[in-house]
Formats: sequence, C-alpha cells, structure tokens
Amino acid sequence: MMKVYLVEHVIGSFAFDENGKLVDYVLNPRDLGKVVDMLIDHEEHGNPFPSALELLLKLKPSEVVVENEAEVAKFQGLGARVTTQVHHFGAREFRQSLVKYALEAKYAPNEEELYSFLYQVSFEYTRRKLRKASQKRDLLAIQAVRAIDDIDKTINLFSERLREWYSLHFPELDKMVEDHQLYSKIVSYLGYRDNITQEALKELGLNDSRASKIADAAKKSIGADISEDDINSIRMLSNTILELFKIRNDLADYVESVMREVSPNVTALVGPVLGARLLSLAGSLEELAKMPASTIQVLGAEKALFRALKTGSRPPKHGIIFQFPAIHSSPRWQRGKIARALAAKLAIAARVDAFSGRYIGDQLVEQLNKRIEEIKTKYAQPPPRKQQKEERPQGKGKKGKGDKKKGKRR
Amino acid sequence: MENVFECIYVDGVTRLCTKNLAPGYSVYGERLIKFEGIEYREWNAFRSKLAGAILKGLKYNPIKKGTKVLYLGAASGTTPSHISDIVEKEGKVYGVEFSPRVVRELILVAQRRPNLFPILADARFPQAYSLLVEDPEVLYVDIAQPDQTDIAIYNAKFFLREGGYLLLAVKARSIDVTKEPEEIFMAEAEKLRKENFDVEQIINLDPYDKDHSMIVAKFKG
Repeated sequence: MMKVYLVEHVIGSFAFDENGKLVDYVLNPRDLGKVVDMLIDHEEHGNPFPSALELLLKLKPSEVVVENEAEVAKFQGLGARVTTQVHHFGAREFRQSLVKYALEAKYAPNEEELYSFLYQVSFEYTRRKLRKASQKRDLLAIQAVRAIDDIDKTINLFSERLREWYSLHFPELDKMVEDHQLYSKIVSYLGYRDNITQEALKELGLNDSRASKIADAAKKSIGADISEDDINSIRMLSNTILELFKIRNDLADYVESVMREVSPNVTALVGPVLGARLLSLAGSLEELAKMPASTIQVLGAEKALFRALKTGSRPPKHGIIFQFPAIHSSPRWQRGKIARALAAKLAIAARVDAFSGRYIGDQLVEQLNKRIEEIKTKYAQPPPRKQQKEERPQGKGKKGKGDKKKGKRR
Repeated sequence: MENVFECIYVDGVTRLCTKNLAPGYSVYGERLIKFEGIEYREWNAFRSKLAGAILKGLKYNPIKKGTKVLYLGAASGTTPSHISDIVEKEGKVYGVEFSPRVVRELILVAQRRPNLFPILADARFPQAYSLLVEDPEVLYVDIAQPDQTDIAIYNAKFFLREGGYLLLAVKARSIDVTKEPEEIFMAEAEKLRKENFDVEQIINLDPYDKDHSMIVAKFKG
C-alpha cells in the first residue's frame, strides 16, 4: 500500500508520492461561489475539500500526510493512517509550480485566466470574512448613498448659482459648457476670461475645436469687467463645487467596497450605487430580503403605485430600478418585462445576501441576461396600439382624469 | 535596484519612486509624477519601511520584476502597493492582514491591482491561507506582535522556497519596551540563525521609523 502527500488548494486536491511525483488529483469546480463556500467551511469546521475526500477514496492509500491538523480527524474516517507535516514533499512541489500543475490538469486554459480566477477567489473570500466581522454595515452603505444624492443636489444648486454669477463676466460660457465639473474647473483654474485661451483650455482636457470656440467667445464676450475681489469670491464657490465632486467620487468608491462586502449578489446584478439605493429605499438589507419581487420592482415609485391603486389607472412598471441600463435603454414596451425579470433576480440576491452570504452573483447575472435576450427577440416589435386604448378606462368611471394621467406619464 | 527609481524634482529634492501599475490612482496621497509618458508614484520612506530600508542602505533587494511575494501584515496596502508596482504583472503579491478594519482599505487598493491578492487571515495559522497562495521567493513580514519572529519562521517553514528571502520588519517596542532596541534586533537575528537563516543585513530604520529595524535573511531550507 502506498503513502501519499496530500495538498489542497483552491484549484483542487493533489496527491504526491514520497519522491514528490504527482500520483493523482481531483479538481475543484471552477465556480467562485462554490470554491469560497468550501474555503470557509474548511476554515470554520476543519472540513477537507470534497475533492480531497474523493481523491482519497479513489486512491485508498495506507497512509496520508496532510498539512492541516484540524483535518486529521475527518480523514481518519476513511481508514488510512493520517499524519501531519508542514510543507511536505507534495506541498512544496505543488505550491512552487502551481501554474504548471493547474495548466496540466486543465483547470484553466492559460496562466492569465488562472490568476484572474485566483484573484477573484481571494477577493470574494476576504469579502465574505469581512462581512461576518461587520454587521449592520448595510446601514453605512445606505447613509453613504444618501450622502451622494445630497451632494448631487448640492452640486446642481451651486452650479446654477455659479453659472449665473460668473455669467455677469462671461455669459457665453454658460451655453458652451454643459458639464458642471468642467465649468467649475474653467472658473477655478482660469478665472478671468482673459486667461481663457486655447492652450489653457486644452490643458484642461478640451479638444482643439471646442477650445478654440470657447477662447474665441472669451475674446468677444459681452460680459462686464470685474475686479480681482469679485473673481476671487466667485472662485470660492467653484472651488467648493470641485471639492464636492471629489468627495462624491471618494464616496462612490466607499459605497462600492461596502456594498461588495455586505451585499455582493445585489451588487453583481445592479452595481454598487443602485444596489445601495435599493437598500436605502427598503430600509436595510434584511428589509429588502423580506420583500416580494413585485414590491422591489416598484420601490421608489410609491407615489405612482398608490395613485394607481386609488384611481385604477395603470400601475408603474418600475421604480428606482429604472436606472438599470437594460431597462431605461430599451424600448418602452420591453421595459416592464425586463423590470419584472430583474426584480425577481434581485429578490433572490437580497435573500442570499442577507441570510446565507454565498456568492451566486455570476449565475444570477447570466440567467438575467438570458431572459433579457429572450425578451428582446420575442418582443422586438411594439404591440399593436389601438386595442390597448379601448381596454383601459374601465375602472372607476373617471375616464377624463385617467386619460390625462396616462398622457402625462409618456 | 530593479524597478525602483529616483525622482529628482525641479528644486533638487530626490525621492524614491515606483512605476504606477494603476495609473491615475494614488494610494495614500502620495504624489504621482508623469515622465516620458510613464506615471511614477513617489515612495514615502516615512510611511513604508521597505523604502526606508532602501534609503538606509539595503544592499540587495530580492523583490524585483516577476517575484512572488507573501506579505504578512499588509495593513492598508501602502507598502504592498509599491511592491505590486515593482513585481509588475508577472509577479504576485499575496497580502495577508488580520484586522478587518484595515482590510477594507486594502481591498480598495487591490481592486486596481490584478497582481495583489487581498487575504483576510491570521498569520499565525498559515493552514487557512495555504489554500490560496503559492510558495513565494520572498516572505515579507511586518506584523507588530511580540512573537513576530516566531510567526515569520513558522511561515517560512510553511512556504518559503529554499534560497528565498525573508524581510522582517522588527519593531523593538512591540517586543519588549524595557530592553534596548539594539539588543532586541540582535536577539531576533540570532533566532533566525538558529532556524537555518543567513542573516545578511540588519538595517536600522532611524530616522524614518524610530526603534525599527529591517532584517534581511536568506533561507537555507
């Protein structure tokens, strides 16, 4: 009978003989969620990988050497003598040539994909453990996304004021630069319209033709001349706006990291910011997890929903999830169906996030994309219109009002 | 030293720099410098003990392009980010850190660096992360623990290749506040020698870090 040295790794379980030669192996599934589950189970309960058990059942060795003492008891059930030795022959051989063994076993087609998978695994593993260490962090993500919304409002408010104020000096710029951030940059970095030259604008990242148009307008501007004091005060406001943009970016990064930690599946489906908005509307991750898909579908459209219930007009097709690109960029008649499909997946994702923490985001995304594809092909053409019109105003007899509403919503 | 650069500013100041693997992103507020189309990051020796060691006369830096590094005590990712710059895409940095609070920041750094693997785990139990890593050529240990040298030795036995290097940042004050730092550095180096290491250099990191040393040792297996 033989003695084998067992190594376990993300990619699978490998058995080596006393000379450091590979005897046999069983691969782990290349599935992020499953692998991370196995890692956590291994760490918490000392359970060996299923692939390790399978491998030993196949080989039936008389003696097994493992690296982890916690696993000894579990392996003894298989009838072999189990000892532990750190960095034994097999472990040494395997971990020094990980890429070689992974590629020979065809775990991944090439080195790049192997590492990209390992990278994802260590990320997911770390996030899962972080999540356990930090409860109620969903409330932090919620506050952060609300802060982002507040900042957006403030940026708009301040930008409107800045535009009116600076327009006393250079009114033409208002129409020429729509982007608030760029507008503030021009005011902050250049200030006086005499400083607004083509080269200066190009340094701010504008292209040739735009820069020359703006520089031209600056030369011919009909705005009033103002003093240094005046421009400095205006710049205080534009500096603040730029600072707000920076804070907004940092907060978005923060929301992303927290969301991937507390709610990885929802994040996989709709991204961190929209995910956090959903949590925000629901109140918490747990609240969201308790909601039926139909409620998630119209979260954020409460006003329209209750109006619909009251008057019998048509209910909203989507609430905040309208922000999901596949919904707002699709033709109108497909949106309701996509919204329903997305909401259904979100309900599953939220429940898994709240109660089990497994990562099934990839599968959910795949299923959702498949369904969206199906909708796109099946309902490529708009439905015939006239029939719909006749059917609708059967409700409470307030035909006139109902008609008006529907007109508005379009 | 491979992939470690010196940036000389207009006013004559010289600073260490590394080529930014994640252009446009600064990790801890360090300066980004564009030169001939390549972006470099200033490497602050007051924030990173490895940079301090280089400036204080590290003779041989085993971390170069393509090196695999197991980094214990990755913290919020300041030094790991520079190591990730140095080893480039061909190299790998496995960053192990125990405190969830700082791992959150480490994750943000690693997000932009495909060669930096963040691992939330306890360096005292290598069994847990042995499933995620490879055997490195360099073991970098910066954990402020009284028994940090023992932890480093245990990890070296677990992972380090024969002929591989250990870079051990010793914080004298976290080992024993009553003893003279020099005494402690000697004692820790002696521990390494007993465990089959060639101690090549002990670099005092003053003034970048008071009462800190970087011990450079080669593992004889």
